[in-house]
Amino acid sequence: MEQHPPVPLSDEEVVIKTLVDKQFFGEIVDRYEAKLTRYIARLGVRNTDDQLDLLQEIFLKVYKNLNGFDTSLQFSSWIYRISHNEAVSWYRKKNVRPEGHLIADSEELLGFLSAKDEAADIDFDKTVNAKQVNAALLRIEDKYRQVLILRFFEHKEYEEISDILKIPIGSVGTLLHRGKKQLGTELNQEALRI
Amino acid sequence: MEQHTKKTKNNLKASLLKQIEQEKVVPRSRLFFRCQECFVWTLWLLSVLVGALAVAISLFVVTHHQYALYEATHDNFLTFMVSVLPYLWIIIFATMVGVAVYNMRHTKRGYRYSIVTILASSIVLSFAAGSTMQYFGLGYSLDSLFGKQMSMYMSQAKIEKQLWQAPHDGRLIGQQVLATTAPTTTVIFQDSAGDRWVLNVSELTSMDLYLLGSEQTVRLLGTASDSTAKHFHACGVFPWVLGQAMKASELSKERQAFISRVYDHKDRSKERLAKLELAVFEETDEPSVEEAEGVCAHIAPVRRIEASMH
Repeated sequence: MEQHPPVPLSDEEVVIKTLVDKQFFGEIVDRYEAKLTRYIARLGVRNTDDQLDLLQEIFLKVYKNLNGFDTSLQFSSWIYRISHNEAVSWYRKKNVRPEGHLIADSEELLGFLSAKDEAADIDFDKTVNAKQVNAALLRIEDKYRQVLILRFFEHKEYEEISDILKIPIGSVGTLLHRGKKQLGTELNQEALRI
Repeated sequence: MEQHTKKTKNNLKASLLKQIEQEKVVPRSRLFFRCQECFVWTLWLLSVLVGALAVAISLFVVTHHQYALYEATHDNFLTFMVSVLPYLWIIIFATMVGVAVYNMRHTKRGYRYSIVTILASSIVLSFAAGSTMQYFGLGYSLDSLFGKQMSMYMSQAKIEKQLWQAPHDGRLIGQQVLATTAPTTTVIFQDSAGDRWVLNVSELTSMDLYLLGSEQTVRLLGTASDSTAKHFHACGVFPWVLGQAMKASELSKERQAFISRVYDHKDRSKERLAKLELAVFEETDEPSVEEAEGVCAHIAPVRRIEASMH
């Protein structure tokens, strides 16, 4: 008789198990540490020590609020929302602005330029490099940058972005549209500068 | 490099579990989150309710039949509305809509709806509840309750009293306290300030006299012929009924009756002038022009209604 490999637990199931046995929380940390590190780095927390401190705060907050997790949401949206809020609070506390290097390497840039069909309608010269995109991203308004990061670099769907940023789905579309327009303008200006 | 990343990763997981263990960190109870959600919804419900009360009172004020007689107190409908609009309740309503929207946005799934949807739903709910309250007379009850309990609060009764207790502008509110019958007709009228007036009722219609004689609180339109001696020339008597819900048709009927009664004074003045001309022609004992025209043909509301007719 053929034996099927065990089906991995869903995030929501891990949450339920964590509420019974806290050791399961380690599984949540395993699943999300890398994703959240990358996300908070994109949001502008670049220093490794800062990242670790912030991640510690995020996961602790997640643990304390596990009973408040709304099961109608995806767990990933919920944990991203907490991370987003904590990152914003971190900036405010430190009174700093996001730093550069939102896009780590050329592979990510390539993904941004071609993987998402929507990104293709950003009107700019396709010869730009990661540095230029980073510079342009840093110059656009926060609200647009946050949506663009979630859509094109974290590959989130509209509904997930709506849940993470706590804004209506319609507003996600509007912000993306305006963000792309602003990014296009900034990229073209950046190309002119170079 | 990979080794370093792995080490950091394990460190975070281990240090988190250690912190949870050592500091005895426990997840907040489900009850805490339920209470939090209930609190937000309760605030939302409260704001909608208070908003509905504001709508009920505002509806009572703006649909109250006092505006059937607006020419008696104001130059036009616009100046009348500006002075009687329930600003306090409109501000309270707007604030409550704001609070309702804020609370709705802070419920678990409130962010999924657009501001327009939340705003519209809060306004519609407050209006629906407020209209129902007003239908059962709650607008009037609350308005008069606040008026009695708070000296600063201008209830509809207080506003109307203020509008109609203005002897210098030819308006009185009160009731008849004494009347002698013809041939020496004297009517004593006590206004809401407690002053007693001797009324000249020569230009009143039988309907006006009937209303005056009912000894109910009434509104008088006319002119103070002698403020010191408290002589008042009455031109119209109107009932003072507060809190009575009126249909649009009844309201329109009351307004028509008011206009025709006040406008009659102008027609009667023309008739009298014609009689005067006749008297001069026939060289009989003629009255003076003022007497012939009558005082009521010249009071401000008659002039206003006449102006609006042309």
